[in-house]
Amino acid sequence: MIPAKMISANTISAKTISAKLIAAKMPSEITRSKFAPRFYLFVAGILFFASAINSFAADASVQVQLEVKKAGPRAVEDLTQRGILRDYRLAWTSMAQAFEFNTFDPLEGPFSGEAKRWLRQTVTSQQQSGLSRRYTNQNHHVDAVFYSPEGDVIELHDTAQYHLQILDGSKSIDDQDVTVRYVVLMTPGADRWTIRQLQAVPQF
Amino acid sequence: MLRRFKIFALIYFAATWAGLCSAQDLRVPGSASAGAETTVSTTGSGKATFYLVGPGASRKSDVTLGEDIHLSAQDMQTAGRYLAILCADTCHSSAFYVSAGKPASLSFIVHPSRVPVALNDAVSGVAFPFDQYRNLVLTPVNVNFQLTAKDTSLFSRAVRTQNGIAWFRTTSGKSAGPVRITASLDDLTAQRALQQVASDPCNLRITGQRTKIGILVQTEPVHDCAGNVLPDGTIVTFTATGQDGKDTVDAPIKQGIARAQMDSAGATTISAASGVVMGNEIRVGAQP
Amino acid sequence: MKYAVPIILVAVTVGLMVLGLFVTTQAGVPVGVTKGSALHTAKATTPQQAIDNLLLDVQRRNWDRAFAAVSSSSGITEQAFIQDWTGSDGSLRSFSSLEGYESRPLHATNDEAQMRVHLNFSTPVGPLEDVRDIHFIREGDVWKAVWPKVQVASVPAEVIPVTFLRWDLVTGSAGDEWGARNIDAPHVRIISMNAVDSGSGAVVMGEVTNEDTVPAFVTVNATLVDGNGNPIDEESSFDKISHILLPKQVSPYRIDFPNLHLKNVKSVRMDEKATLVPASADPVIGVMNQRIETDPQGKSVLHGDLLNQGGQTVNIPHVIASFYDSNGKVVWVSDGYVDRALLPKSSQPFAVEIPKNLSSEVHSFHVVVNQYSLNKS
Repeated sequence: MIPAKMISANTISAKTISAKLIAAKMPSEITRSKFAPRFYLFVAGILFFASAINSFAADASVQVQLEVKKAGPRAVEDLTQRGILRDYRLAWTSMAQAFEFNTFDPLEGPFSGEAKRWLRQTVTSQQQSGLSRRYTNQNHHVDAVFYSPEGDVIELHDTAQYHLQILDGSKSIDDQDVTVRYVVLMTPGADRWTIRQLQAVPQF
Repeated sequence: MLRRFKIFALIYFAATWAGLCSAQDLRVPGSASAGAETTVSTTGSGKATFYLVGPGASRKSDVTLGEDIHLSAQDMQTAGRYLAILCADTCHSSAFYVSAGKPASLSFIVHPSRVPVALNDAVSGVAFPFDQYRNLVLTPVNVNFQLTAKDTSLFSRAVRTQNGIAWFRTTSGKSAGPVRITASLDDLTAQRALQQVASDPCNLRITGQRTKIGILVQTEPVHDCAGNVLPDGTIVTFTATGQDGKDTVDAPIKQGIARAQMDSAGATTISAASGVVMGNEIRVGAQP
Repeated sequence: MKYAVPIILVAVTVGLMVLGLFVTTQAGVPVGVTKGSALHTAKATTPQQAIDNLLLDVQRRNWDRAFAAVSSSSGITEQAFIQDWTGSDGSLRSFSSLEGYESRPLHATNDEAQMRVHLNFSTPVGPLEDVRDIHFIREGDVWKAVWPKVQVASVPAEVIPVTFLRWDLVTGSAGDEWGARNIDAPHVRIISMNAVDSGSGAVVMGEVTNEDTVPAFVTVNATLVDGNGNPIDEESSFDKISHILLPKQVSPYRIDFPNLHLKNVKSVRMDEKATLVPASADPVIGVMNQRIETDPQGKSVLHGDLLNQGGQTVNIPHVIASFYDSNGKVVWVSDGYVDRALLPKSSQPFAVEIPKNLSSEVHSFHVVVNQYSLNKS
């Protein structure tokens, strides 16, 4: 008969050995099981925050202020004002994307008529010449100066300040802050206002 | 210390002077018109790369410094801000504007396409002058607006454009029918058509008589208050109320008159309505 | 011991199944309301079994067996019986199937019985209910249904000139010249709006008119807005409106907001959209003999007959009724589909229900007919 003391000692040591073996076998599992919830939460939080920052940055890079007091003969309705603000900002964001990456897709929704034509032409010629443009830190101070009696066309005067960088391939050939004045015509489409004419002028 | 400073300053100015001697520069036109050729002059010597970046234009070419760079009409079609960039050792840029040429077409928007007669400020139009490259002409010009119905002038006004826009607003005419609206600028003309239609029915009157199969009810010729006959297809709702219940028929006007056959056998009260306008009521006795 | 309980359970289950399959009840004893999940019995020895057999065969489209459950004294042919169930002329019934039913006996003797059956059809426009009272007689030891003779509209052959106006829409082939392709959308106007709480949620209803001289395809949407100006929910009228409005035509509309109540709603934003659409003023449909009655189930119902005064078949008529109080305010809008086609120069009955709590408020009503014809472009 083995003394109880010896049995208990063996059992303890056996348990200890087996625990060590388990630890040796699955250290990663043990580590993961110990840290997983917090670790993944942390990673998820970082990713979420990064995307939030990124989207904020994308939206925040185009600032638009719209004044409609001077518009006539028709008064600009609240909903229209909100729509124009939203769609004008989207148009400039899309244009910046189109010119930076030399792609036509962003131009499809926010532009129509002549504006769409010359923007597409610009992208085509950029593709051929290997140039691209980067518009950043855009700030648009927009005044509505005409709103037609039927509400189907609005003319805006945009004093736009932005940073414009011209690139030849990956080499920057021009890089400056500019203030440019634009005469803009917008017309209502199926579900948004589109820019029909976008013409830079030396003064209004 | 002072000696070191002097040596440094000497080296600095020498380098700057050397740079200036070989530096490129470019001079852009003060103003340019869309579709007109122009040149950009350059100074310096050697080879450089010239870039023209503007609305619809993105051009890159090798040039010789000191020679003028020719900008073709095609490069300058779209009005807007152009950036001329010259790169040799460093890049220099200069901006200039291309403005719209003289008017070559008129875009003309008229509302509405159908309008009831004699309605205040019901008709409006907006005209935009464009040059041959579809640039908005912002220089003030005079646009003449005219409304004509059956060779009779209903409205005529000359308006000077402001910010590239001329517009008008007027009351619709008294007679139903087609109206021609013209916007003209020198020898440029844009025409639109507008249909003046009868307004709401006025004095909607009905008559009814009993027939073998019920009651035939019809309207008198349906006019608006200006005497214009309502167009065919306009719905008149006849309602007959009797002991058996109520009958309603939505009957379209044909050649100015709407008719309906009601089934009612007993004494019946019949009324008519078109849109929100009510007509008279008649009472028809029971079938003998 | 440990197998005893499962064995007992299985035995009891089998026993109950056998009882359910083979034990019959005596005639004249009400068996209560049964739903459409009964089993087909070999011999219908009770009115309940007879109706179960009949409707199960109808569900399975086993027409020969279904017609075998109909008494020969009905005087109806099998063809007419089938057509009564399957519909014809592109009617709504011809696109429907019997989903289920509930039946209850009204009265019964040893030799005859009257059963009331609620038939639930699934259709392309949603569930449709039909209530029928079916008479049964005992022939020998089998119960059979006496099927009513189907009244088929007798439409004499004739030539009917169509002189009503028709509108076609030409979209034009001009390029993108700005302002050149200017045809305005039809001008429609909402002439009344009333928002109420009903049993199932908030309801916005009223009337809209086409003020223009051309036909319009109209939809009406409503947005419920809270006290802070934020939208709570937005819904559309869907099919509770006559979408195609001819000039000066008025249609009721009803917009349902399920599970929402007006206590949180500060205002309602209405949005009516109209587009140009080809249309025809033909056929003219008269709504005859309109009257409000209480039906055998105690419900307040607006009955009437639709009379097709034109020469074109209306495959699926849809009735929309607006009910007004004594001040002329719209207090309810009901709608219902007629599952039989409306042949030229013929009529079909319709019925739409009025909610019980509103029937006392109703002072007058107006019915419009929406129509769908298969051969219309």
